[in-house]
Amino acid sequence: MKALRFLFVAVVVMNTSIAAQWLKHPTAGIPRTPDGKPDLSAPTPRQANGRPVLAGLWRPAPGLVGDMTRGMKAGETVPFQPWAETLFKERRANNSRDDPTARCVVGGVPRSDFVGYPFKILERPEMMVILYEAVHSYRQIFTDGRTLPKDPNPNWFGYSVGRWEGDVLVVESSGFNDNVWLDNAGRPATEMLKVTERFVRKNFGQMDIEITIDDPKAYTKPWSVTQQLAFQADTELLEYICNENNKYFDIIPKLPVSEGGSQRQ
Amino acid sequence: MKRSMTRMGVALVIGCLASAAPVMAQWLKQPTAGVPRTPDGKPNLSAPAPRMPDGKPDLSGLWQPAAILIGDLAANLPKGSVPFQPWAEKLYNERRANDSRDDPTANCIVGGVPRSDAVPYPFKVLHEKDLVVILYEAVHSYRQIFADGRKLPEDMNPSWFGYSVGRWEKDTFIVETAGFNDRGWLDNFGKPATDKLRVTEKFVRKDFGHMDILITIDDTGAYTKPWDVTLPLILRPDTELLEYICNENNKYFDIIPKAVDK
Repeated sequence: MKALRFLFVAVVVMNTSIAAQWLKHPTAGIPRTPDGKPDLSAPTPRQANGRPVLAGLWRPAPGLVGDMTRGMKAGETVPFQPWAETLFKERRANNSRDDPTARCVVGGVPRSDFVGYPFKILERPEMMVILYEAVHSYRQIFTDGRTLPKDPNPNWFGYSVGRWEGDVLVVESSGFNDNVWLDNAGRPATEMLKVTERFVRKNFGQMDIEITIDDPKAYTKPWSVTQQLAFQADTELLEYICNENNKYFDIIPKLPVSEGGSQRQ
Repeated sequence: MKRSMTRMGVALVIGCLASAAPVMAQWLKQPTAGVPRTPDGKPNLSAPAPRMPDGKPDLSGLWQPAAILIGDLAANLPKGSVPFQPWAEKLYNERRANDSRDDPTANCIVGGVPRSDAVPYPFKVLHEKDLVVILYEAVHSYRQIFADGRKLPEDMNPSWFGYSVGRWEKDTFIVETAGFNDRGWLDNFGKPATDKLRVTEKFVRKDFGHMDILITIDDTGAYTKPWDVTLPLILRPDTELLEYICNENNKYFDIIPKAVDK
């Protein structure tokens, strides 16, 4: 992950000077102050059915991707199962060298929500889609009333369904593989993982995702964090191609086969 | 498709599909809402194309390209009709001779435009009011096509997918894309492209179940004149995209350790 973080920084620095020439496209239909700036404190926009609009380009506040406990309430601690705590400490001690995202595998849920690069939410009647800038990946959240499948194909993003509770979109995901890391620090997850994300749009410019981790194999009880998002006006997603010039395999050429079973060897 | 990266990629994908097959049946068969059906409940793929509120064809849906152009984009053209510049033909012949070993997609980089259109895995088109998004199963990637009237920017950040804008001419959605880097391959065989590449894709939804993409390659850096191909797509109802994670257990670097660092 150190290598990957380095790459992130290099890519962002390289893009900055170029970005100004084409990336500034005014976002249509957003409230603006008299001087033309986006009015981020305007009220939450509403759909025809009265629900909050969640669509837009959002950027997670930095912090949780490195250590998601930064989003916990004061005084709360992560209720690790003993084996999970041992594994977490190993990952801390070896500086997360087995992190799957260092190999450009997607972060999955909830980790992709934490990465400090923008993502775009698209809302359709039957589904919501999130286009993540990070690792150029995407995720579908079905909002057509279907329930979670009983035996889904295990994967990184899981299988997500959403429903409205008042003004809050409640997204439940399961069907994860057991290689997922919840954050860069390496908090583990298993196939028992169920993630609940509550999307709460507070006003035009701010949204929270209240995230509950329920994985009885890795944690003794459910625990929650809150990720804050800021609306990104007048800009766009960049093309983030993780495999382009990734030096991870040069630095750590032979990863040990560890608990994930799918590590490069 | 029998060659190149894609040799690895194909092996990988076949492996994934094979292992996923028995599982798929249990969860992947979700009836697609709004699909016209025959009396026996089967999707009626020859029904008329659906329309957007503005009367234009709705391009949305899960589409699968015919497996004909990913290997050789010119597979349906007469032999020798690709108007290569001499250097581009030489490079192409080298890539054919070395079995496409330097293919960027073997390194799990996205195929870009038009190559991602031609991979015979499904992609989902989301037709929004001023935006068309394509979610590609292959390499779990996506692409945005801005259809709000904006023009192509003059000085774009060079990228694999380029920058795409779309406009309507009657019932045809015409997408123009530029702003490519000079490393894109047009197909698995290795037809080169440069940063002068401009791609025009004309999306023609012929009926509910069939769409063509008429693709024009205009790259004055690599070809002496524009050339065209047609890619047929078929709608895939009652199923979904799979999560295709190219970097998961990719063996390319074990087999060809330094192919992409040349």
